[in-house]
Parts: sequence; C-alpha cells; structure tokens
Amino acid sequence: MRSFRKKDKKAGVLAIVLCALLIVVSFSGCVQQEGTNPEIKSPLTYVRYDIGEPRTLDPAEAYDSASCDMVNNIYDRLVTYKGNDTTTIHPSLATDWIEPTGNSTTWTFHLEQGVKFSNGNSFTADDVKYSFDRVLIVNSPDSGVVWILSQCMDTNSTKVIDDYTVEISLTQPYGGYLALLAFSVASIVDKETVEANGGVVADTDNEWMKENAVGTGPYTLDHWTHNSEIVLKKNDLYWGGWAGNHVDTVVVKSADEASTRILALQNGDADFAYIPYENLVDIRNKTGVIIYQAPSYDVVLGLFNTISENTFMANKEVRKALSYAFDYQSAIDDAYNGYLYRLPGCIPKGMPYYDTQNNGVPVYNYDLSRAAEILNASGYTQTYQFKGNLYRFNNTAIRIWYNSGNAERQKMALSFQQALTKLGINSIVSTEGWPQYLNRMYNTIEWDFMFLGWMPDYNDPDDYIAPFVGSAANGGDTFNTGWANATVDQKINEGKYSVDPTIRSNAYETAFNIYINDPSLIYIGQTTYTRGLRTWLQGYSYNPVLEYYYYNYYKAYPV
Amino acid sequence: MLLIPVLIGVTIITFTVSHVIPADPARAFAGGPKAQPETIARIRAELHLDKPLWEQYFYYLNDLIHLNLGKSFLENRPVTTALAQYFPATFELTIFAMIIAVPFGIIGGIISAIRQNKLSDHITRIIAIVGYSLPIFWLALMLQYVFAYQIPIFPLEGRLSAGMTSPTTFTGFYVLDSILSGNSATLLSSLHHLLLPAFTLGFATLAIILRMMRSSMLEVMGSDYIRTARAKGLSERTVIYKHALRNAMIPTITVTGLSFGGLLSGAVLTETIYNWPGMGRFAAHAVLGLDFNAVMGFTLVVAIIYVIANLIVDILYAVVDPRVKLGGG
Repeated sequence: MRSFRKKDKKAGVLAIVLCALLIVVSFSGCVQQEGTNPEIKSPLTYVRYDIGEPRTLDPAEAYDSASCDMVNNIYDRLVTYKGNDTTTIHPSLATDWIEPTGNSTTWTFHLEQGVKFSNGNSFTADDVKYSFDRVLIVNSPDSGVVWILSQCMDTNSTKVIDDYTVEISLTQPYGGYLALLAFSVASIVDKETVEANGGVVADTDNEWMKENAVGTGPYTLDHWTHNSEIVLKKNDLYWGGWAGNHVDTVVVKSADEASTRILALQNGDADFAYIPYENLVDIRNKTGVIIYQAPSYDVVLGLFNTISENTFMANKEVRKALSYAFDYQSAIDDAYNGYLYRLPGCIPKGMPYYDTQNNGVPVYNYDLSRAAEILNASGYTQTYQFKGNLYRFNNTAIRIWYNSGNAERQKMALSFQQALTKLGINSIVSTEGWPQYLNRMYNTIEWDFMFLGWMPDYNDPDDYIAPFVGSAANGGDTFNTGWANATVDQKINEGKYSVDPTIRSNAYETAFNIYINDPSLIYIGQTTYTRGLRTWLQGYSYNPVLEYYYYNYYKAYPV
Repeated sequence: MLLIPVLIGVTIITFTVSHVIPADPARAFAGGPKAQPETIARIRAELHLDKPLWEQYFYYLNDLIHLNLGKSFLENRPVTTALAQYFPATFELTIFAMIIAVPFGIIGGIISAIRQNKLSDHITRIIAIVGYSLPIFWLALMLQYVFAYQIPIFPLEGRLSAGMTSPTTFTGFYVLDSILSGNSATLLSSLHHLLLPAFTLGFATLAIILRMMRSSMLEVMGSDYIRTARAKGLSERTVIYKHALRNAMIPTITVTGLSFGGLLSGAVLTETIYNWPGMGRFAAHAVLGLDFNAVMGFTLVVAIIYVIANLIVDILYAVVDPRVKLGGG
C-alpha cells in the first residue's frame, strides 16, 4: 500500500512536470528576438495559402477567381494592367493598337514578334483569332464566362491581316472593350496545342485544357493535386525574360482551416495567406508578418425584394426608409472590423465614373428619425398593438436572410433587426446554406431583404451598374429584386455602347439620380482587401482586376 | 450478398434526403448571382433536375449500374476520378492511424488489465480517458501548434512538402508508391507528413480499443476456465496469452473493425485541419455545396467500406476463435 502511494506520488509529479513543460513550450514562441530578421524560407519559391481551388485552367471557362489567377499567370492577353493601377491599360502581346473612330467599330492590334509558347511554338495572329473564336464556339458550358466576349464579338469579328496584325470588328460599339480584353477569357492559347488535344467542339469543354496549359505567360503548370496544391514553374522561354528578381516556383495551397493558414504564415511556410477579417488580430504585430491592405472592388449589398409577398416592399418610400434604418457604421466597425468603407452607389471607388454618384458622398446614412418620418408620411404608422408595443405594417415581419457561415452578414442582419425594432417594425433573421439561399432569392418571393456581394469581372462600371439596377428585360436585375426603370435602362445602354467619356458620365449620373431615390439595394460598402504577408515578400501590389501576377514577386528583406 | 440490399437502401436514403431540400444547386454550380441562364439550364438538364424525383432516381440508378457516379460539379470532374484521388489519401491516413491505435490499444489494455490498480493501469486509464474526452479538432490544433510551430519538428499540413511532385502513381498511397518507384525523397516526406494527422486520428481509437481490451481481459481473467488453467499450474504467461487473450480479442476486433470504417468515413476534422486531400474534406465540401453526385458517391463508398469491414471482422472472429464457423449458419 505504501509503495503504491509512492508510485502514485511519482505519477503525480511526472504529470505536473509534463504539464509545465507543455506550457513552457507553448509560450516559448511568444518571446521573439528583437532586431533580427528570420531566415527566408525557400527564397525562390512563393507559397500562398488560400481557400478554394481552380475549377479549370482553360481560359475559355475560367470565371472564378482561383481559375482566373492561374490563367493570368500561364497565359498572356493582348493588353494588361500593371502594378496596382486600374486606370491605364498597357500593351502585352499587342505592342500597340488603333481605336475605332467615327461610326467604325474596328480595332487594329499590332502584335509582339518573337514570342514563344512554353512548348516552343511561335505566337502569331492566327493564335489570336483562334483563341477568340474558340471561346465563342466552346460557349463556356460550365461557367458562362463567354458573355464577356460575346456581348460585342462573334466568330466573324477577328480577322488576321498578317502574322502580326489582327483587326477586330465589334458587333456593336463597346466603351469598355480594352478592359474586357485584359480579362482572362481573352487569353491567347496555342492553336497547335489545342488542335492536338481535342480541338474545338461547339458547346463542349475541352477536357485536356481543363487540367493542362501551354501559354506564353511567365509560368507553366508543374502539377495540380486537387484540394491540396497547384504548382507553377517558370517558363524558360518567357518573352519578357528573367533578368532581375523573380520567384521561379509558385505554390498555391488550398487550406480550408484559418488556423492552419495563420500558423503557416507565422512559421514562414507561407509567404502570403488569406486571413479572414475576424482573425487579422491573430497576425497583427507578429514578427516577420504584415497585414497588407488596399481598396478592393468587392462590394457588399443589401437587396430589397420589390416583388415580395409583403406588398409594402414595392413602395419606394418604404425602401428609402429602410435605407435610413441600416446602421452603416456598425457594419463597418462591428461586422467588418473597420475593413469596409462606404459605397455611394453601384460604381466602386477606383473605377471610372465613380464621381458621377453624388461626388462619392453616400445619400443614405443611419437616421432612424428620418426613417420614421418617411414611413409616417407614407401612412405606415405604428398602429398595431402587440404585447404592449406598437408596430408598423400590421406587425408583418420583414424577412431578413443571410447565407450561413458568413459572420459579417450575420452581424449586419442582427444589427438591422435591432434598428427595425426601434422603428416599430417586426423582423425575422434567418440563415441557410448557399444553394438554398440562392433558391430562395431566385425561385421564390419568400424574402424581403438579403445580403450579397459582387466582385469585378473587368474594370468598367458597366460590369456593376447593368447587373445591379438594369431591368431583367435589359439583361440586368441579377439579384432578382424585381426592380426596373425604363430611363435607367436607357442610360445604362448609352453608357455601355458609347466610347465618349462625356456621354458615359452623363448617362451614369442620370441613372444614379433615379435609382438612388427609388432604391432596390442598400449600398452598404466596399471592402478593404486584406491579406497576411511575410515581410520578405517583395513586388506584390494588389490590383482588383489582376489580383496576382507572380512574375513581379521576389523574396528579400528591404534594404 | 448483404452488399446489394445495403447499397440499394443507401442510394434511396441519400438520394431522397439530398434531393428534397429546397435548393438551387444548378445556380450555385453555375456561379451564383453571376450565373448565365443558359448555363443554369444546361446543368439542370444534366442533373435531370427538370424531371420528377422518382425519374431522377432511376436516371441515377441507371448511371450507377454503368459504374458512372456522375460529375462532381464542385470539383468540375467525374466523381469516380475525385474518389480515386481522395480514397487512397484517406485510406493511407487511416491505416497509419490504426497502426498507432491497434497495437498500443491492445498492449495497453492487456497491461492495464493484468496490472489492475497498479501505476501502469492508472496511466493507461488516464490515457484512455484523455483520448475519449479530447475533441479531435482541439487535439489536432494543439499538436499542430506545439509540434509544427513552437517546436517545428513536424510539417504543418499536407501529404508532401510544398511544391514536391507526388511519386509515380501505382496505388495512390504515397508511401507505397514512393517505395515502388524508389523515390526516397517522397517516401521520407510522406512518412513525415503522416505522423501528426495519423496520431490525431488514431488517438481516440486507441483509447476505445484500450478500454475495450482492458474490460474484456478483466472479464475473461475472472472466468472459470482461467481459474482452471491456473489451477492446472500453467504459467501466468501461458494463461494470459494462450487462453485469455483470444477470447478477450473478440469484442476488440468488433470495435476495431467498426472504428476502421468510421475513421475512413469520418476524418473530416483531421483532414481539414491538416489540409489532407482526402475523402472527409471532399464529403464536407460536397454536403455544404449540395453536390448531389459527390455526396451519393461518397456515401456509397462508405457503405461498401462498412460492409467489407464487417466481413473482415467476421473472418477474424473465426481466426481468433475456431469455434466460430464461417458460413455455417
């Protein structure tokens, strides 16, 4: 018995020592050496930890950001953006171009000579025609991205003049055509390679192109392990050359768990990582890590269902009042931890014609008195008594929805509900998974208010204003709010089909003045793009329409 | 023969449950709000969502008979291709988890039983309680934090080092493929990457096996025939390993078999945290994204695994206890 107690005691001591050791080990990393930079891991390899993975490597199908990212680095386009500048379009495979004049819709592009694809084939004007026609014939059965080209091109549009000149006649004038050509769908593929691997079949994906790639871009595909990583190696034949500082290997990891991405960034396995807003605090002030911030084109919207079962939602005065009842500052501070700023209308800051929206000053601010005033004036007074409180709309609840897993939208929904309660409006906040959420939005009228976001396809306001406030009949109403206005449609089309900046500016301003006073959306804000970076990563700058261009990256500490 | 009714039952249940939820997977697959109407229509037609439910089920059965599990819309490739990649990854992880769990669980259980109420029994029981009680995600996060971050002796995540090309594929098991292709770099890397997730996954199973082994050993050790064996003057070693162990193994084998099936199908958390490209993550993505074909393909594979695991357990019963006859009724 005595020896047993002695052994028990030993076990206790052992357990305490082990626990102490674990605690010491756990906190030992908190002590950082001052003034010394950690050794750069794999100096020529860039590693990014992100969520999701590409759906395809085929430019004719790439539409999600992960796919476009790969396409943008393996293939080139005729024109491109540089650094974080979204306003100037620079030559890429096209050395220069002649814009259409007068009533003409024909563009002429002169092409770079001596460019090779990564397999050694030469790039010529034939490849340009083949690439554009291929996108239009394949018709993107999976993603639908073809619309970006097909809105102003068909298979007769592109003509080869000589080996290094192409002429493109648009089916209709299009103000944002160069911006469109900078999008990944306009990437140039190697005709010979595609023909040798399935060719072009109408309305059908090329399976080979989905998982293989031969382009003229700076990188080539090394391997792709689904749900794990995709690896690019430098294209030795890249026409831009490899003088200067560049990473020669790019690894993009798909890691669902935020804590894994955070640890990878902190221990230097990752050079770059997607960290959700709520976790940015975990990497703030960590040695060797910075939080990169830049304005993005990603906008956050609240959607009003103007064709809801609750007919009061069709009344523009109700929607104006609800726009005043949304607490924008709470969305910025509480939901987005400060990584959001106000959006005056459809066009995000940084995009052309942003100032046509009340000079960038939001029309609606959180003002419950003003909201109550509008509702009272419209006859929606607090007359329904229920459990000692007075409610509007005969106590009919406004149904607020957000998609599950989206913490920011959840916070905004609850904040909105609180504000509505103060106004005497009953509301119900509900959540469901993404496919169910979409079903509700598009196939039912069983909702009054939902949250959604929007990211850019290309750098032109038409990519925002037409889907947001254009009518369904005009190819708009992307969010199924049921809102339509003939004058706004007319102005959207004027802006879209004109290349005259004055005409476009006037058109967007007129449209703004109409849709903002009959709101179908709450323009909540524009997010700040944030990522975690190792301090040794150089050459990165965020461009909302060309997010990653690895050729510019290298690893070194700033001198 | 059990396989066919089980699989039919599984297809009916999974098909009904996944299809009756009011959702718009076609629009979700086609890009959400940016989806083009033609794309949505094409996906609806491809999934037969424009047909009555019973008709959809027969389309599904017809494809299944032709060994076509359909296309995973989330992954944009056939479900069979995806499963062919993910199943070996999960299987390899599970095998290593079992390599950790089974021997340590059995040996720990035996030691714990034969040294009941002694120090080693207390230690093994503590291990068992800890294994039972620790949530797997917490254990994974802690192991990652301590052994991949604070004392970086293990990799943080993945099956191989970042950027390393996988070994030539023979089986999809990186360790085996590395040996078969003579690739020592991927062999070492894959073994190194296996340890933390395999331990995480195996620890709870170890605890279960340990507890089961201990209790069944204690029960057997107290039975009459063991007393008789001792009375005959057999050595304690012979009593334990020749007479007690075989009988005590029966429930442990049952638990081990079911755990193996469970680990294969339920490694979602471990795979998510360690970024392991296996079936668990695939299934979790599929369920959240309502990727019908992927969910049903995964469920079918899991059902087959369970049936096979049960079959192996039955065979092992006969091996361990000759009184059990296979197919004898």
